[in-house]
Amino acid sequence: MLTKLAGGRLFDPANGRHGEVADLWLRDDRIAADPGPGATPDAVHDVTGKVVMAGAIDIHSHIAGGKVNLARLLMGEEHDRHRFAGHACGHDRIGGGSGIATPSTHTTGARYIEMGFTAAFEPAMLGSNARHAHLEMSDIPYIDTGGYLVLGNDDFLLDLIATNAGQAAVNDYVAWMLTATQSLAVKVVNPGGINAFKFNARSLDLDEAGPHYGVTPRNVLTVLARAVYELGLPHPLHVHGCNLGVPGNVATTLDTIQAASGLPMHMTHIQFHSYDTAGDRKFSSGAAALAEAVNRTPTLSVDIGQVMFGQTVTASADTMAQRHTAPLAHPRKWLAMDIECDAGCGVVPFRYRDTSYVNALQWAIGLELFLLLDDPWRVFLTTDHPNGAPFTFYPELIRLLMDRDYRLAKLAEIHPDAPAHTTLGSITREYTLAEIAIMTRAAPARILGLADRGHLAPGASADITVYSDLPDRRAMFERPDLVFKSGRLVVRDGVLVAMAQGCTHVVRPGFDDLIERRIARHFDERLGLPIKHFRIQDAEIRHGAGPQLHPCRRREVP
Amino acid sequence: MTFHPDILCPFCGLGCGDIGIDRDPSGIAPRPSGCPQADRLFRRSMAVPTDARLGGAAISMDDAIAEAVRLLGSSRAPLIAGLATDVDGVLAALSLAERIGATVDHERSDALFRNLSVLRRFGWSVTTLAELRNRCDLVLVVGPDPAAAFPRLWERWVVPEPAFADGNGRSVVFLGGAPLPETVRCLGGRLETSGVDTGAETDLATLVGRLRTALAGRLANDDPMAALAARLRSARYAVVVWAAGLFEGPQPDLIVEGLVRLIRTVDGTTRCAGLPLSGADNLIGANQACGWRTGFPLRTGFDGGGPLHDPERFDWRTRLRDADVTLWISAFRPETPPLATGGSVIMLAPPETSVAPEPALFIPVGTPGIDHPGDVFRADSVVALHAGALIDRGLPSVAGVIDRMLAALGQNARTREAAGC
Repeated sequence: MLTKLAGGRLFDPANGRHGEVADLWLRDDRIAADPGPGATPDAVHDVTGKVVMAGAIDIHSHIAGGKVNLARLLMGEEHDRHRFAGHACGHDRIGGGSGIATPSTHTTGARYIEMGFTAAFEPAMLGSNARHAHLEMSDIPYIDTGGYLVLGNDDFLLDLIATNAGQAAVNDYVAWMLTATQSLAVKVVNPGGINAFKFNARSLDLDEAGPHYGVTPRNVLTVLARAVYELGLPHPLHVHGCNLGVPGNVATTLDTIQAASGLPMHMTHIQFHSYDTAGDRKFSSGAAALAEAVNRTPTLSVDIGQVMFGQTVTASADTMAQRHTAPLAHPRKWLAMDIECDAGCGVVPFRYRDTSYVNALQWAIGLELFLLLDDPWRVFLTTDHPNGAPFTFYPELIRLLMDRDYRLAKLAEIHPDAPAHTTLGSITREYTLAEIAIMTRAAPARILGLADRGHLAPGASADITVYSDLPDRRAMFERPDLVFKSGRLVVRDGVLVAMAQGCTHVVRPGFDDLIERRIARHFDERLGLPIKHFRIQDAEIRHGAGPQLHPCRRREVP
Repeated sequence: MTFHPDILCPFCGLGCGDIGIDRDPSGIAPRPSGCPQADRLFRRSMAVPTDARLGGAAISMDDAIAEAVRLLGSSRAPLIAGLATDVDGVLAALSLAERIGATVDHERSDALFRNLSVLRRFGWSVTTLAELRNRCDLVLVVGPDPAAAFPRLWERWVVPEPAFADGNGRSVVFLGGAPLPETVRCLGGRLETSGVDTGAETDLATLVGRLRTALAGRLANDDPMAALAARLRSARYAVVVWAAGLFEGPQPDLIVEGLVRLIRTVDGTTRCAGLPLSGADNLIGANQACGWRTGFPLRTGFDGGGPLHDPERFDWRTRLRDADVTLWISAFRPETPPLATGGSVIMLAPPETSVAPEPALFIPVGTPGIDHPGDVFRADSVVALHAGALIDRGLPSVAGVIDRMLAALGQNARTREAAGC
């Protein structure tokens, strides 16, 4: 099948194209070189004047696994109100389900692809819950997925660190776990803090020794960042830092940047980690200081975790932080879970209100960060779905970034005391289409090591989104004209027209299997499960299709 | 004869991964595991009838699928229940339910909904089996001994010394229920019998209420319940274990809510978490899969507007009364409850199943973890396990059978569309 997209403006920053008019050719599931005169395409789409980009990639979105399914249970009222019949499409019915903040699997796939997203990654997969997460991800149609393995609160790793087992042993363990759980990257959540909470510690600062192991969060962070670097994983350590949501935590966040001491690091949902304590309410924006630190640290990348106003639910492995949020639950119910000598999970429904000083400021801080961070290759568009807002708010967020007048109008609507505590009103920057293409396509593919995604060169996966260049950027990004997944036209004028399945991306860095004896003992003595039952086989991924592997470049460090 | 060690057991929901299985040309048999369920249910013979039956007479699988599709396709009030199958089987059943407008429920969902109703309106604070094993220094068992439903609970998750209790060991206290004799033997000195004398009071809701009153400091200090409250407060990591399916009396969910509130109170100062156990025959996996596919727990149906959940109306026992066609799925055990329905029953079950009265249509299926691989969830809801295949008796999986029904329904749809043009 040969398809031609004729006359579009290509926004393909990975290949240096910023709106140049060119034809784009697809052969089967791949982008192809121009076959030259005489070629007879099976389908031609005239996209003259339209904006053509690769499919968008969401690097941080809680779409699958135990905590998401628990969140669905707590959000019952919302699911009752938002039920979707499957859309009749040939002989299939697709996209049926329910929910906005915690959409069911088919609905998740449908909402993403309708917006032109062709990949989304689950950023908090617990090893003990990995099989569940994979089962659920394979039930999400249309989009590519993958999971970031949560480490850093598991008793096995803390024991390795406490007993000075050495970096090599840690590296082997990390590599073994990535392989066993079919993961793409490593994430650390409140390093050591979730574990400390199981010993009844209610807070843990960056340099505070945790209970039982006497290991500090800084220690956990640096050991894991080094493991990820030495194993040569494409994605740097994905860090959800200490003290999430605590006023004054920007100091901790700046210290965390220092703690990396030059090792690559991705700091996630930094909006929740950018709070200062100025003003009467002891709550103000620390965005300017943080943005400055990120701007001058080229080894750092960040995503924002933008807050948008309305009902959502926060779901996190960070039980310690969630216990502090629980009294603010709306509706007033929440759940917490300690999990398998591994980590935990806390789910707290939440309504962000523009009339609340704190929520209004959170909204402003997120935008401030977007606009003060000057390298779009190192900043990613996220709402930390669903924690800051459902991912369906992305088109609105893009408009806020691209349209200053619109942004100022919205700023005028929020709690009147909030604007004084941010610099948002004075920022004139407007994101360009090229920058949006970097932030949502080229850069996510690069930071995750997905060589054939996020760009439009021959050989890339034919994941393509075509938009009308509308002045209302929200309308533009809400409803693309055409979306192709792996070469198949699946959305036309915002409506699903065909079914497609994505794939699951993983890494497999290799390890010295001597570590397996120590891990096996841990499984027998602590987890009560023979190690063989823990490992997820390739045949279990996507009903036997297996995962897509991405290479690691091991770095030998003397 | 070959020996297969460390086989995963899919039955009760504890997810034991250490079952030894002997296999010879006549079939498989388990080595004694200490679990009556595993010892019984892993015993399978190769010599079983693999024919489907229509009204008791053997028919081909092709004819059986066609008959099932005829019944389900023309049904006005279909029910898909039992739902005792692996995750793939449940997902296939959900696809079928969406296609024909059926409601779905699991045979054992009663126990689950006693817990879920509290979770959905209030939330909870819970833990998992490995945390119980390694961190817990005080186990409070509320109600009847869960070992009745989860035979190796104590042996595997409580008898091993806790790794993080600093050598202080752990104690087990029963409230409103008595340990089974084998539990007494298994727990030995860990069992505290002196602690709580509940007198003649056996009503669980009352007992839990008194314990909560004691925790609030409103009982006299010499009340035995005050002593138990003090024990909970001084434990480092107390775990409250219950099997709601074994609760008797009206409104068992109110007992669960009392327990959840009690746990929250203690957990405010020291650590305390619940361990609600329910989950035989992949009940938890069925609920999880229903949750991610529809956004709702079990007892969900499909109408023109999408999935619709109703925990009372869509209870299979209620729906069975007015369903004109019931697809009953029971892949784990060769046994089924009596199905009081005036409608037709299509049954997917192991060939050893003796059913009376004979259903309209019987299609033999394999058991996940014996005849084919399959994913099942553990009773603590976090851990999913992949059970492997042990023997090949030519029995299809539930997912395989339903996928054939879906394909046949699709063809029917195609025929209709063509005719309409």
